[in-house]
Amino acid sequence: MPSWQDFQPFIVAGLALGGVYALSGVGMVVLYRTTGVLNLAFGAVGAMGAFIAWSLINSLHWPSGIAYLVCVAFGAVVTLLYGVLFGPPLAGRDPLVKAAATLGLALILLGTMSWVWSDKARSMTLPTTDHGFEVGTVLINWTQIIALALGVLVTATTAVFLRRTGLGTAMRALANDREITAALGVPVRRVEAATWLVSGALAGVAGLLLSNLVGLDAATLTFLVISSLAATLIARLRSLVMTFVAGIVIGLVNAMVTPFFSISQYRDMAPFVLAIVALLFLSRHEQISFARRSE
Amino acid sequence: MRRTGLIIALTLALAASMTLAACGGGGGTSDSTNKAAAPAAAPKCGAGTGQKATGTPIKLGGIATKQPGTDFTDIPNAAKAFFDCVNDNGGIKGHPIQYVIETEQTDPGQIASLAKKLVETEKVVGIVGNTSLIECAVNHTYYEKQGFYIVDSGIAPECYSTPNSAAVNMGPRYSVDGATQYLLRQGVKKVVLDQSNVPGTGYIEGGFLLIAKSAGVPTASLKDNVPIQDANSIALKLVQAAGSNGGVVLNFTPPEALKILQAAQRQGLQNRVKWACSTPCNTDFLSDALGSQWNDKLGVNAELNLTSASGPDSQLYRAVLKRYAPKIPLGSFSQMGFVEASILTKALLSVSGDYTAKNVNEAIKNVKNFQTDILCKPWYYGSAPLHIPNNTDRTVTPKDGKMVEKEGCFPISDVDPAIAQVRQIEAKG
Repeated sequence: MPSWQDFQPFIVAGLALGGVYALSGVGMVVLYRTTGVLNLAFGAVGAMGAFIAWSLINSLHWPSGIAYLVCVAFGAVVTLLYGVLFGPPLAGRDPLVKAAATLGLALILLGTMSWVWSDKARSMTLPTTDHGFEVGTVLINWTQIIALALGVLVTATTAVFLRRTGLGTAMRALANDREITAALGVPVRRVEAATWLVSGALAGVAGLLLSNLVGLDAATLTFLVISSLAATLIARLRSLVMTFVAGIVIGLVNAMVTPFFSISQYRDMAPFVLAIVALLFLSRHEQISFARRSE
Repeated sequence: MRRTGLIIALTLALAASMTLAACGGGGGTSDSTNKAAAPAAAPKCGAGTGQKATGTPIKLGGIATKQPGTDFTDIPNAAKAFFDCVNDNGGIKGHPIQYVIETEQTDPGQIASLAKKLVETEKVVGIVGNTSLIECAVNHTYYEKQGFYIVDSGIAPECYSTPNSAAVNMGPRYSVDGATQYLLRQGVKKVVLDQSNVPGTGYIEGGFLLIAKSAGVPTASLKDNVPIQDANSIALKLVQAAGSNGGVVLNFTPPEALKILQAAQRQGLQNRVKWACSTPCNTDFLSDALGSQWNDKLGVNAELNLTSASGPDSQLYRAVLKRYAPKIPLGSFSQMGFVEASILTKALLSVSGDYTAKNVNEAIKNVKNFQTDILCKPWYYGSAPLHIPNNTDRTVTPKDGKMVEKEGCFPISDVDPAIAQVRQIEAKG
């Protein structure tokens, strides 16, 4: 049994990863509530943004800061494009069809990354990763702090935004009923486009952070969406706060199981084990539903 | 509507320009390793005539794993580069070599069908460059029945324990043995092995456990799923498992090993234990990605010579890659492909009759005393029940973006029983 001192660095690693899961989960939940699309391409979009930033820095020798901005912009633009081109035709379809369509985008991006960058060792280190401080025997870098802080910030800002702004109110109205909202004169497509754009930007930010926290690897970053997806399922694709908490818990459990050698290799199951347990617990008195209210 | 169209057009143009700008500058795989310099003389391979071969092709084949987290295609692709060079230099007595590369995803049914496809449909006369997690295990009996003698880069135990497979590398088990020996020479008090959770890990850890036990050093053998998704936690786990004055051996493909090593660096763990790695880490690409903070802090078992070595074969290797496969990085994988193709070329040039599967495989089996400065000692095939012709290797270490030699050639410990058996076979000649 590892000692408390042994656990401390795992808590730091878990909180940082959990922060990014939470940030990603919030982006996915907001998009789902507004458009009805569960974006399974979230990880792939971020991954490709990170690879483009890597190429800009290492091949074209662009300043790092601009490359990072391009990463975020890429996520925003590609996601917006997908939303504008495929959102309206799929608007009336079943949520499963919409999710499967985003899986298509994820596979296209994954294939493109494998083709363009292949499966070689690469790294991209944010300046914040090289600096940090020690707490006891644990070295904490600023990227880890930023990951957790961004998770908190994005959750809080999004919650306030949805309640206090006109666009946020429109998004919430869309979440309730797309047709009635449109009949009331809300520019549905513009509101949806704004949601796709913001969600895509969050994918870019998550890709950038995860390429530092986990590694610059197309498949890894693409499928890390699974952990965020588990967080959103625990929150039943509704509550932002619950998504945040679930993301943090998944990150923590994943990390803290690691020093137990006998079960360490099975820790990748943690997100879905947690999701199943949470869903069973939450639904002990009711029927599980992920549907938006109008569906 | 017109406005929406304009927005779509603008965003499309922006996305396309960003992607092209990022990728167009040679952002492939070889940017740090195999850059073109001034035009050099065309390399001479095989017969070295400088004339393109125009006869009927001699067909060879190879099978390699290519899946997320595990990509061995650099090996057959480097072999193809050498064959292209041979074809530009008269081929095999005027016959060009046609090399068919198949990729697999660790599916035994698929792998078995690929071997049959190569032998029965493609009608290849020789198989070279195979590098797969399980191909040897799946296909060795088929090759034995068909009379094919495979020159490969081994991973599965059957690559080193069956009569029709001879590898130019020593494979993960013996490479891990070598990395473990390096750490023991560094005086570690405990040694931890971590490897990808794929088929064959029990076989690979066998030598590691025996060698450490014979040295009286405690061990821990761990596995992690690939692709690795939480490298920070894994690096912490390994350092804690090794403890003070401990050592860690990594047996992963370069991208996965890099994740762990960088995670260790981010958490200030690179000095907490001694680090070692099996052969896949021996690539300048990894050294470059690690940076100078890992200078002299990672012992990498090198089954083959440094890619920057000055011997004639090493020079030819670099020239061939530069001209025929500039996107393949310099490293152990491409060296293996180069050596395997060189061996096949030597065998093919020795065939006196027609280039039938029977004649070609007989020639492959008869290869002996194949000398190259890329290996520590001459390579051979022969009729033994098992083949581990590469059983002496080096240790290299990162230094400012390159791998440099840390230890010269040393024999893999014969505490590992198969190595002891091979040494007996070699002693009998």
